[in-house]
Amino acid sequence: MSDGGAGQKFENPVTITIDGREIVAEQGAMLLQVALDNGIEIPHYCYHPKLSIDGSCRMCQVKTGAPKLAIACNTPVTDGMEVDTKSDDVAKARRGVMELLLINHPLDCPICDQAGECYLQDYSYGYGRDDARTSSPRRKGMKRHPIGPRVVFDQERCILCRRCVRFTSEISKTDELRVFGMGDHSHIGTAPGVPLENDYSINTADICPVGALLSSDFHHKRRVWFLEETQSVCPSCSKGCNVKLGMFKNEIQRLVPRRNDDVNETWMCDHGRLNYAFAQDETRVKAPIVRGETSNGATPIVSSDEALAAAADRIKVTLDAYGASAIGVLGSGALTNEELFHLASLARDSIGTPNLDVIVPKGEADGFLIQAEKVANGRGAREMGVVPGEGGKDVAGMLTAAAAGEIKLLYVVGSSALAEVADTELLDEALEKIETLILQDTNTAPWSDKATVVLPGHVWAEKDGTFTNHEGRVQRIRRAMNPVEFSYCDGGMFTRLAALLSGKDASGARFDARATLAEIAEKVAGYEGMSFERIGSLGVRLGDAAPPPEPAEPEEGAAPAEPA
Amino acid sequence: MAVRVVKVDREAIVKSAGPFSVRAILVGLSITARHFFRNLWGFIVGKPTVATIMYPEEDVVKPPAFRGMPVLVEMDSGKERCVACGLCEWACPVDCISITPDETEDAIERYPKVFDIDMGRCMYCGLCEEACPEEAIVMSDRVEIAAFSRAGTLWHKDDLLVPVDRLARRLEHVRRGYER
Repeated sequence: MSDGGAGQKFENPVTITIDGREIVAEQGAMLLQVALDNGIEIPHYCYHPKLSIDGSCRMCQVKTGAPKLAIACNTPVTDGMEVDTKSDDVAKARRGVMELLLINHPLDCPICDQAGECYLQDYSYGYGRDDARTSSPRRKGMKRHPIGPRVVFDQERCILCRRCVRFTSEISKTDELRVFGMGDHSHIGTAPGVPLENDYSINTADICPVGALLSSDFHHKRRVWFLEETQSVCPSCSKGCNVKLGMFKNEIQRLVPRRNDDVNETWMCDHGRLNYAFAQDETRVKAPIVRGETSNGATPIVSSDEALAAAADRIKVTLDAYGASAIGVLGSGALTNEELFHLASLARDSIGTPNLDVIVPKGEADGFLIQAEKVANGRGAREMGVVPGEGGKDVAGMLTAAAAGEIKLLYVVGSSALAEVADTELLDEALEKIETLILQDTNTAPWSDKATVVLPGHVWAEKDGTFTNHEGRVQRIRRAMNPVEFSYCDGGMFTRLAALLSGKDASGARFDARATLAEIAEKVAGYEGMSFERIGSLGVRLGDAAPPPEPAEPEEGAAPAEPA
Repeated sequence: MAVRVVKVDREAIVKSAGPFSVRAILVGLSITARHFFRNLWGFIVGKPTVATIMYPEEDVVKPPAFRGMPVLVEMDSGKERCVACGLCEWACPVDCISITPDETEDAIERYPKVFDIDMGRCMYCGLCEEACPEEAIVMSDRVEIAAFSRAGTLWHKDDLLVPVDRLARRLEHVRRGYER
């Protein structure tokens, strides 16, 4: 994209020529990275932009005018450098490297999970030989060795690029993986009794250019070429790591990190990566349920419209009998900004209760990626106004009031998280005392059978919208799965409920995430100028999405980012 | 190209045969009788002269290049040779193959837990066979795929397994054809 031209600024620009093309780069930048930044492919295994330079694979050799070929990953660019990546001796060197790497590599591709995204496969087609010149049997090694609880290791496939070793020493700083042995006998391994079990261990499987380290969760699950990938954001904590959802037949097969240098670089934690089963397991609430005096214990499954009408009816009855302060609304930090905006408006304007809060489970932060708030959008919820109003109660306050009989109706979105934030006894007592419990859950909670109305909620993978992460970066999530059938999205529930409460026809109250974001951009401080297009795939910090009518602003320091 | 046109005077033929056409009946019967006795003699001496096959009791031996429905090769151990690599699934132009891989404790760690072919969709192109790196799926001489319901056209792994020695001719043909 950027040709070293107007878009980029360099302190000490140098001009180099790669294959006859002039490129402006920063003095001292590594040639391989400069080439990659400018869309020139130089094959490489051991080089990774977020790890130190190893120079062990020798695949990135290019001609720089030096007497011998140089490895591009460790060659700083200098002014006037002329680089040839396509000459015959470069091709010959690559062919030689490929041949040596493949001497002992097993012909495992049909059963190897890496097949389809394997550098060895790609470069073998691109730069390798057609045939093998050796006839001696290939070396045997450990197969599918559980090197850690979440990673499988296949020693035969390893090409000793040492990316994983550098990852554990530089990124996770846990130093589990080492190279043992010397020369031809070198192999990757862990010290006896030290499993690879840090919180970021599956990243080693991501960066492994071959199929030597594999995620045990994805092991033999699905060929990667069948996956439809959707750009999204991890929902498991407020860091908001950028991910790709690998989908097959409407099921999430895996989450892999997506590079975003401002958020997660190229990493993500194991917990976030493996925390997707809730989106598709049997605990999902698949249909609305209404229980009432007439239902004599049975749980009739009704349409969403009927369930919403029943919920609106119960809210109206409670409003008439006890007033708005007897109603509490609890939002979920797993909802998008757009949905939370409507939830706040539903509670404030349609119900008129100040008892509004968001359920945010807290856990431990580790100072790297894992954040203390265990939902994606706690900050967004607070900024959309899902906070206790004037004289209103927070989560604990509402449960205490419910246990004391002051709050008669609770409308809880995402109630499963209640178990993590509230005292068990208080929760039990509150749910026992409460007259009407309206739940809008993605998954069945232990207290679902106490609810008068259960509305099916949508998980993050089923909806379009935005999350605001802990440092105030607004990021886009995209629909990857077809949602639960016969139900409205969470935002649609809020808009329809608001319409029903004001006595209007609910069928016209559709939820539109794009239009809602436009409304948020007008009304919420910091969100000026936000739109799906402006946010793009990498997100925008609050305040940075400058409003469109001010194009004359200078680029830096115009709108100071609102600190967290 | 010159075309020879033969004019047939049907009326004259019908008239000459007379109202009951005894001669035509006798001619026809004699032909039938000739074939009957020749075949009878052939069966008696063990050399039948007819091309008719007594289907379904008898079946035609199809040439190895014949592409019937795709089947899975069953090894002598009773297990499938397939490792669920998914290449046939990917190659199939009509998406009639669906595979769910799983892990086993065997030496070959991967196997198809589910291997379904929707014969209602299969178009007998043989691309699955060409794509297979393990010679695990081949086109057989099986053509009887009629079913009473759509569910019956969905063939599962157990129905698809055919012992390797019964597919020897086809496997040899495949190796020759794809220069393996």
